Amino acid sequence: MNDLILPAWPSHLSETMRFGVALVVAGLAGEGLARFVRLPRVTGYSLAGLLLGPAVFAWFGVHDMISFRVVIDLALALVLFELGTRVDLQWFRTNPWIIPASLAEAGLTFIGTFAVLYFLGNTPGFAATVGAIAIGTSPAVVMQIATGLRSEGQVTQRLFVFTALNVLYSVVLSKLIVGGMHGAFRNDWTAAVLHPIYLLVGSLLAGVMIAAAFSLLRRCFELADEQAVAILFGLLLLSLSLLEIFALPTMLAPLLAGVMVKNSDRRPILWPRHFGTAGGVLVILLFVLTGAMVTGNDVALGGLAALAVIAARMLGKGLGLAAFGPAGGLNHRQTLALALALMPMSALAFVLVDDIHALYPEFSAQVGVVVLSMVAILQLIGPIGVQWALRFSNESNEKER
Amino acid sequence: MALEQFAASRSLTMGIELELQLVNVHDYDLVGSAEDLLREVERKNQDMDIKPEMTLSMIEMATGICENYTDALQQLTAIRDVLVTSADRLNIGICGGGTHSFQHWGDRKIFDKPRFQYLSDLYGYLAKQFTIFGQHVHIGCPGADVALYLLHGLSRYIPHFIALSASSPYVQGDDTGFQSARLNSVFAFPLSGRMPFVETWSEFEVYFEKMMTTGVVKSMKDFYWDIRPKPEFGTIEVRVMDTPLTVQRAAQIAAFIQSVARYLMIERPFRPVDDDYLVYTFNRFQACRFGYAGTYVDPNSHEHRTVAEDLLKTFERIEQHAIELRADEACRALRDDVLAGHNDASILREERQATGSLPEVVQRQCDRWRS
Repeated sequence: MNDLILPAWPSHLSETMRFGVALVVAGLAGEGLARFVRLPRVTGYSLAGLLLGPAVFAWFGVHDMISFRVVIDLALALVLFELGTRVDLQWFRTNPWIIPASLAEAGLTFIGTFAVLYFLGNTPGFAATVGAIAIGTSPAVVMQIATGLRSEGQVTQRLFVFTALNVLYSVVLSKLIVGGMHGAFRNDWTAAVLHPIYLLVGSLLAGVMIAAAFSLLRRCFELADEQAVAILFGLLLLSLSLLEIFALPTMLAPLLAGVMVKNSDRRPILWPRHFGTAGGVLVILLFVLTGAMVTGNDVALGGLAALAVIAARMLGKGLGLAAFGPAGGLNHRQTLALALALMPMSALAFVLVDDIHALYPEFSAQVGVVVLSMVAILQLIGPIGVQWALRFSNESNEKER
Repeated sequence: MALEQFAASRSLTMGIELELQLVNVHDYDLVGSAEDLLREVERKNQDMDIKPEMTLSMIEMATGICENYTDALQQLTAIRDVLVTSADRLNIGICGGGTHSFQHWGDRKIFDKPRFQYLSDLYGYLAKQFTIFGQHVHIGCPGADVALYLLHGLSRYIPHFIALSASSPYVQGDDTGFQSARLNSVFAFPLSGRMPFVETWSEFEVYFEKMMTTGVVKSMKDFYWDIRPKPEFGTIEVRVMDTPLTVQRAAQIAAFIQSVARYLMIERPFRPVDDDYLVYTFNRFQACRFGYAGTYVDPNSHEHRTVAEDLLKTFERIEQHAIELRADEACRALRDDVLAGHNDASILREERQATGSLPEVVQRQCDRWRS
């Protein structure tokens, strides 16, 4: 026969096909969970990711995942920027209890997870790295669920602000620890000091640039329509590639840019969630891909430690908020809801591990085992906690069907 | 519950209630933070009169008994300042205005209190539609029959009060064409409108008794009249005003009502008759729809003029009384606004014009409420 017409057989799976199947499966899983058991769609997306990933059906292999990093980065940049626009710096002045509550919750989380891992026989460096990553709350899960429920109120507001601050602490602390590793592993203490400073100052400058470009965009276009979204995505991609060129972390700059946009131009923010449908699809992919990062090996080796760390993390966040939440104006019900809503971990944790990988591959593999096991668990049940918390505090505004 | 005795109160004292909007500072939609705000206020000031309202995005503040305009303004400002600081701590906005310009009524949540839950069950969506914000002014009366005279007398000035306070041109995201669209939501209630024409308290007791036996009402609270007697306070309560955008305006309007009340009580310039009410709903509609430019039909002479023309005449007639009450400064400020054709509704429309966005209009309402 003519091999000009008929394709070679068996064909190998193309990337397009993998993405296509992933999206279909994720969409169905999300919709199924939401409709039949009233669980958050995010849990379905993550479940689809876990099942398609190397842990179960291996539709995605471990090696495919590296090439997807750009999708993860873009989606994460999008939600971090969105999250940043929810942080009103004036509030820290008008309510002096917000920052202490956040510091207490993050600090106790770090101390708790560090202690658990250290007593389980790990090195302080390892325990500190996982502890730093454990501070972080998934911005993607929080944004997806809270905006999906059209939630507004005291718990929701604090959820946004604490999540943003936790991203900040988590990234800064883990970069400081990487700095410390330069000293410990290579005895290069100049790099140990300069590297974190470079990363932070660089991120701040990049944030200023993104914010300035976005403000210009906002002045020229009506962002409530989806017209300007292409430009926005292009802008973010451009910034991400620049961040990569300068070896800067991809998480801080978009978050800081969001904060700057909100606080330099205080007009009401009216663009749709995730900047419209395209952003929404990206965020779904983010959950699927993060889920697909987890391998069976991770869960087998790190599962138990992960459970212990999750318990310590929960305790840390709970105690920190119980100590300072009420002073900031929450009642006990709201404090409980907030502590629970801060549970999810997702793509941010993966990206932090992946960033260490470039510099210290072996160390990052050890850290990854525990962190990805935590992600596997908290990306599934975390969203359920957020949804429950926002309903429990009577802040969700779901449209009944 | 039978009708209470009319407790006499000191003549011409005032009490002001303002219903306020709670909004988020992200997109400036209403936010259900009433419980949080009440908790916050309670922690600092136990004795301030701040109450929940039907839905979770509303709150009501009230002054104590005020002697005059200055006193009222001082009391309002003090409560306003506490509310603003508390709202800041919660990172929410608080503002005046008779309606929230783009909220969707279906999003509202009923405050968890037996009476509100009962009303919500009874009135269905009307309860949530009732997320509107009004100013109520109490005027002290020395006796029940005087109170009823004053009530029917003030009924002639309902269009004036509406035009001066109107601040609800936008409903559910659209310009209604009205200056006070808020009152349209009140008219949906079965017991809204005006009080029946009874001139003595004993006649009113008979009417109230009859209504009780029909089982339609259980207490005075079930009447949503434009002006209603409040026997336990010994006052009559004027309820047609939208909440103004500032406490200054609220105090001025109260002072104007006080001055008109003094004019009526002392001069007794006319004897109210049932036929006064022939033009009542027409006049009220005209004021809601067109404000100062609305047609006012004189109940006596049936002469047609604009609300503005009648307002200016009224300012002249009550001038001496305003001076006696030290309300002249307030009345002068209102008179200037009438001459300029300016009220809160026109401010909101101008800001819509300037910003092109209703959320930004709400943001500016919050700024204005602070000043």
